[in-house]
Amino acid sequence: MKRFASGIAAVCLAGFGLAVAAPAQAAEYPARPVQIIVPYNAGGGTDLAARVLAQTLEQYLGGTVIVRNQPGGGGSIGTSATLHAKPDGYTLGTGSQGPLVMLPQYGGIDYAIDDVDFLALMGRNLMVIAAGKDAPFKNAKEFLAYAKAHPGELTVGNSGAGGANHVAIEGLAMAADIKLKSMPFGGSVAAITATLGGHIQAVVAHPPELANHVKAGNLNVIMVMEDKRVAEFPDVPTTEELGIDFTWAAWKGIIAPKGLPADVRAKLVSALDKSFHDPDFLKKMKDMGEDIDYRPSDAYKALAMKDSAVAQKVIRAIGMYNMNAKK
Amino acid sequence: MDYFQYITPVLSPEVLLVIALGTLGGIVIGALPGLTATMGVALLVPMTFGMETVKGLSMLIGIYVGGIYGGCISSILIKTPGTPASAATVLDGYPMAMKGQAGKALGMATIASAAGGLFSAVVLATLAPQLASVALRFGPTEYFALALFGLTIIASLSGDLVKGAMAGMLGVLLSCVGADPISGAARYTFGYTGFAAGFSFTPALIGLFAISEIFVQLENIFEDRVAMVKVSGVWPTLAELRESAGTMLRGSIIGTAIGIVPGVGSGTASWITYNETRRASKTPEKFGTGHMPGIAATESANNAVCGGALVPLLALGIPGDVVTAVLMGGLMIHGLAPGPLLFQENPGVVVGLFTSNFIANLFMFVFGMAGIAYFAKILLVPKKILTICIALFCFIGSYAINLNPVDLYTMLGFGVLGYGMQKFGFSQAALCIALILGPMAEANLRLGLLNVDNDILRFCSSPITLLFLALTPLSLAWPILQERRAKKKAALATPSQETRT
Repeated sequence: MKRFASGIAAVCLAGFGLAVAAPAQAAEYPARPVQIIVPYNAGGGTDLAARVLAQTLEQYLGGTVIVRNQPGGGGSIGTSATLHAKPDGYTLGTGSQGPLVMLPQYGGIDYAIDDVDFLALMGRNLMVIAAGKDAPFKNAKEFLAYAKAHPGELTVGNSGAGGANHVAIEGLAMAADIKLKSMPFGGSVAAITATLGGHIQAVVAHPPELANHVKAGNLNVIMVMEDKRVAEFPDVPTTEELGIDFTWAAWKGIIAPKGLPADVRAKLVSALDKSFHDPDFLKKMKDMGEDIDYRPSDAYKALAMKDSAVAQKVIRAIGMYNMNAKK
Repeated sequence: MDYFQYITPVLSPEVLLVIALGTLGGIVIGALPGLTATMGVALLVPMTFGMETVKGLSMLIGIYVGGIYGGCISSILIKTPGTPASAATVLDGYPMAMKGQAGKALGMATIASAAGGLFSAVVLATLAPQLASVALRFGPTEYFALALFGLTIIASLSGDLVKGAMAGMLGVLLSCVGADPISGAARYTFGYTGFAAGFSFTPALIGLFAISEIFVQLENIFEDRVAMVKVSGVWPTLAELRESAGTMLRGSIIGTAIGIVPGVGSGTASWITYNETRRASKTPEKFGTGHMPGIAATESANNAVCGGALVPLLALGIPGDVVTAVLMGGLMIHGLAPGPLLFQENPGVVVGLFTSNFIANLFMFVFGMAGIAYFAKILLVPKKILTICIALFCFIGSYAINLNPVDLYTMLGFGVLGYGMQKFGFSQAALCIALILGPMAEANLRLGLLNVDNDILRFCSSPITLLFLALTPLSLAWPILQERRAKKKAALATPSQETRT
């Protein structure tokens, strides 16, 4: 027993010694592992993309990069952790659109979009509307006609109240002057399943989530919320073509808390730039069905701010603005 | 089609080793209260990215299968469910252990788990595409009806109907904390962002059963009574097996069916099977006192869910729970998209997964039976040390799920609640069921009504919905009828007293 106790004491002292010694070695960044906080569960799109990026980033940054999952609160918990971490370059986050652009508008969140240092945009997730096999409309024109003829009856599922998909479909409805019935499910999978089963007529989601169902012929993509046609669906009209002044895409990238030292930030930005041009990385992402649309820091920030302004308009219109704020 | 060529790669030593390791690891993770199969799979999935597809996914399936089984070990031995799926096993498992039959209880649990798992593995392999379409028939109204039916189990579980109802209603109320499923508005969070998403389910369950049990044990901790429990025998007798055979079949079918419906889960499957078995039994009063069919029911059901959950995943690309969602992620990172096309384009992967599911269940059976003697030794550990270890794992487990300190507060809060409930005779099982099914009932009721514009007739129009809605009042009435029947029996049994007066 005594030996056990003194053994423990020895280990503690050694650990303490190491901990004290570490700061003295405040040398080359990165001197310890860099963590990227993913505010969602393991196995999801953002998580997988972050993990592949981490592998590639390690080569260009010259240090270990690990991914840490901190799910909860629709992504707000992990994002909050990133933005409240020490700005020393060792804690980064996946800057996802939902937690940055939408959640702060609902209130009750302890960060704002102005606290974010946008480092690099990774990719955008297109927003498309897909109709079920037996829906009473087979293309965009029929969809709009049906919606105009049956205001407030056309059911469109989304991944959750206040999420990117919900805001997108409501924004589209506002711009197209139609009334839809938004059905919030607990996640895209549930919404897509309900559409497959014919319980709702359409669903708004991202292409990778719909890919195999479209290939199997069970879902029919009818509209893309972009201003130019996209490669995955060359025959699907865009909102721009249909005369609807509304486009939307969710995005994710790498963010950090504001206040990074200049040299650390420069190193990070350069390593990220190289990672996003790495052919191996691009191939892996393509195989996973992820669209890489790399934009550097300033362009990323501009996109985020623009989306934030549009989102605010839509959120105010649907009456959800500041609904969770402390009264 | 020559399936054999797809099965043989799985039977290679390295893949078998990986499945065995995964299953063993899963059993250990499942047995430790606080760590769950879901967490095990989520933590280990990055490790599988470097492995080749079938190997990596087979390991995950092994962890899943082993993890769901492993929970019964701690349920039976220390009245603390190792995973939410085995919460129902406590009801008959622990009393059996107290009677000195821990070994037999574990033996039955292992056999039942293997039976359920193998049944669903076979169903998965033979009928996946056909059954997958059943998963699609469940829309909001069907889920609501199923959840409502599930909630009526509360009535039969609790000894005192009123107290059971109160516990159930408290559970539903607690499940309302967090974001409103339809409007997204935060409810009952009192401005505290930590509860914006409601109480995390697993920490709440760990607190409700494990922490509360620790508090109960603390009362007697210094009276280090020598464990009166003996581990008598491991194999149930042939008679006992025959008694439970029908139950295991019932559990396997219900478990597989519930596994196919996305989002319902092993916990619900085991509760429903327990209830149905009790109803079909000639001696329902024996349930809850250490009755083997009780264990057979719950364990066969929760393992059958594993195979069932793989049906919508592989056939439709719809993950039914977090574990299958992680498996889907694992498939996608290897460039494989689950869904109807997977069967046609990559039959090797699909058959490989079916085979590893089957093999994992076999390993689970072997490791389980072989390990019972060792598992039961836990009971010989002094209570003081055992309790501390359990508490440690509960804290680690609850925190490790989301790395969110709020989960620890949730766990402790529910622990205090559970302790209070035990002291005053309220059923924790009722609260547990309400926590699982309350959100499902509410969200789907409102979605369903939204869908049909509040037209009740249209709401109740689908056959599945009508089926469960019809079963609901029957399920509610059953305990009342039982009580009346018991009273009648008692009255008939004492006619002599009446003639005397």
